[in-house]
Amino acid sequence: MNSLPALVRDRQICVCVGAGGVGKTTVAAALALEAARRGRRTCVITIDPARRLADALGVATLDNQPRRLAGDRQSELGIGDAGGLWAMMLDMKSTFDDLVERFAPDAEARERILHNPIYQHVSDALAGSAEYSAMEKVYELAEGKEFDLIVVDTPPSQHALDFLEAPQRLIEFLDSRLVRMLVHPAFAAGRFGFRVFQRGAQRVLKLIERVSGVGFLEDVSDFLLAIEGMSEGFRERATRVRSLLLGSGSAFVLVSGPQRRSLDDAERFLARLEQTGVPLAGVVVNRVRGWPDGGAPPRQVPDGASRPEAEAALARALAARGGEGFPAEDAARAAVDCVDRYASSVRRDLEVTEPLVEGSRRAGRFAVRVPELAGDVHDLEGLVGVAAHLFPDPDGR
Amino acid sequence: MSGPGQTLLERRLVIVTGKGGTGKSSVVATLALAGAQHGLRVAVVEVGLEEQIPGLFDPAAPPVGYPGREIHPGVTALRIDPYAALAEYLGLQIGVRGVVDLVFRNRAFRQLMDATPGWRELITLGKVWHLEQMRRDDGSPTYDLVLVDAPATGHGLTFLDVPRVAVSAVRMGPLRRHSGWVEEMIRDTQRTLLLPVALAEELPARETAELVERVREETGVAIDRVVVNAVAPAPFPSGLDDLDRHLAALPAETPLPGLPGPPVLAACAAHMRARHELNRHHLAEIARDTGLPLLVLPQLPEGVRNVADLARLAGPLLAAPEARAA
Repeated sequence: MNSLPALVRDRQICVCVGAGGVGKTTVAAALALEAARRGRRTCVITIDPARRLADALGVATLDNQPRRLAGDRQSELGIGDAGGLWAMMLDMKSTFDDLVERFAPDAEARERILHNPIYQHVSDALAGSAEYSAMEKVYELAEGKEFDLIVVDTPPSQHALDFLEAPQRLIEFLDSRLVRMLVHPAFAAGRFGFRVFQRGAQRVLKLIERVSGVGFLEDVSDFLLAIEGMSEGFRERATRVRSLLLGSGSAFVLVSGPQRRSLDDAERFLARLEQTGVPLAGVVVNRVRGWPDGGAPPRQVPDGASRPEAEAALARALAARGGEGFPAEDAARAAVDCVDRYASSVRRDLEVTEPLVEGSRRAGRFAVRVPELAGDVHDLEGLVGVAAHLFPDPDGR
Repeated sequence: MSGPGQTLLERRLVIVTGKGGTGKSSVVATLALAGAQHGLRVAVVEVGLEEQIPGLFDPAAPPVGYPGREIHPGVTALRIDPYAALAEYLGLQIGVRGVVDLVFRNRAFRQLMDATPGWRELITLGKVWHLEQMRRDDGSPTYDLVLVDAPATGHGLTFLDVPRVAVSAVRMGPLRRHSGWVEEMIRDTQRTLLLPVALAEELPARETAELVERVREETGVAIDRVVVNAVAPAPFPSGLDDLDRHLAALPAETPLPGLPGPPVLAACAAHMRARHELNRHHLAEIARDTGLPLLVLPQLPEGVRNVADLARLAGPLLAAPEARAA
């Protein structure tokens, strides 16, 4: 049975996925914090945390190095000697450069790639490469075996699983015959059976050249030639990263918000995750407006008395306290109105998030609602508050 | 001179950008409706995979696709499919549609294009340029106002930067020339405006400040106001700002027929007040960090569902933006 306590106890990798703006970073950080408090050496990899949260985690710089939280902070947070909390802010651009450094066959090829004008423009934009870089880093840390658990916050992306699919696209691209043609035109032309293709490809190349002008294709071809040597190592590595992420040591957590749009995105993510065979452990619905005592909101406000009756009783109570000149009747009306509006927003959030929550539980996954808090989460105390909602039952600590 | 003195409807091209979830599409749809109500012929361009705009006018609207359809009197919507736009462009360049079709059927060509970054943005902006340039027989613009629902902020800037990159990466030829035209349009501060949409929340506020800073430093695209969407009204009437404290001061056991006890009432009120104060804090932060006037759009209780909801937002969107002292 999937549960968050089991996840932070047993898994080695936890990947938080979901659309942008739902509080994925906060959830990832709170999960990591709780895992550390439960005695695991945990590293949280964040992509783009709010400044103050980054400061609180001690990772204000993009240096791609896990930083351990200061010892006194750890003990204040109840992180014992067995556990530990590290955080790292990912610089995706430099990780992609690292990739080139690692897989370029020799120093000359490496320099040619890094200085090629095409590379300089594409490395940020290469479809999904940023997302993939994040996973590269996860693999590297997992291989290092320094941590019991690595929690990853994924970049917001329109395509749910860019980080899994990007390497495949890159490999297909490197392997495509058109690319071979650009890199080794003579080789491709000399092969029997490539003739039909060749005519098509030459037409394509002519067309590109006609529109883009001479010179552009030379840069492209030079770039491709340079990265071709990377292809083998990259392919092997990408395969290993994929099996690590889809393996039994990994768990994916889908994070959503209660807004209609966010829930639609979550449904789409869910379909994609299931299709890809991702080990989805459960769903966190973040910032759901909750009723103050934690129970169910009233069906209506007022409930069981008429509005004038309720307002009059409240006005009497307020007048008795408010002193002379206090507009008790206006205050009572405003209070009933405000509580009525809040109760209906709580009911609405419960209702619209129910299909996602129920569906997740039916599929044997966990589903947790985290209430909207009164303020932004930008310090470790705030994370402790979020963790308390993610792990309502303090077992295991 | 560009500036808040020029209304949103006096531009030729407004590119609306913002973090996912800020309600960027409803701002685009509202602006389109407002334009049409002022007698303008408006083209609305979407670039994402999912069409949002037609559904905001009419939840039952079928997709418009490419080349698009009039979805409301005076409002034509289209979703730019980069491949369709590329085929159109290459058809114009080559003149022989059959050659283009042949090339598009080539699997390797698709693979190459799938993996090549930048061209989608370039061809999309090229199509936007084309819409802006289109003329009727009498020489007047086919569309008085072109609105673009741009990708989410981070990508939004990359999007606008692509023509410049193309001009620098391509040394000669038609692509370079055409990229130059697109580039010129984007930087024309009289014609084009970048309109960021934010929420009065922490991350969108910060992203908006970063966006404005980068636009100023890197692109030179006109940016003169920020839309802050879905701002909740004050929870209590004025003069009763500390209502939650009055409720909290009541004895917990006060009998209130039909109502939860005073502690629950006070907690609801306190939560609403705290969220409202947080909103105001982030509004002030956006104004301070961007140095730009704000257009504050009210939160609609059920979100934006149809053309009547858009009409409710049109007034505030066309209002003179508020300069806010932080």
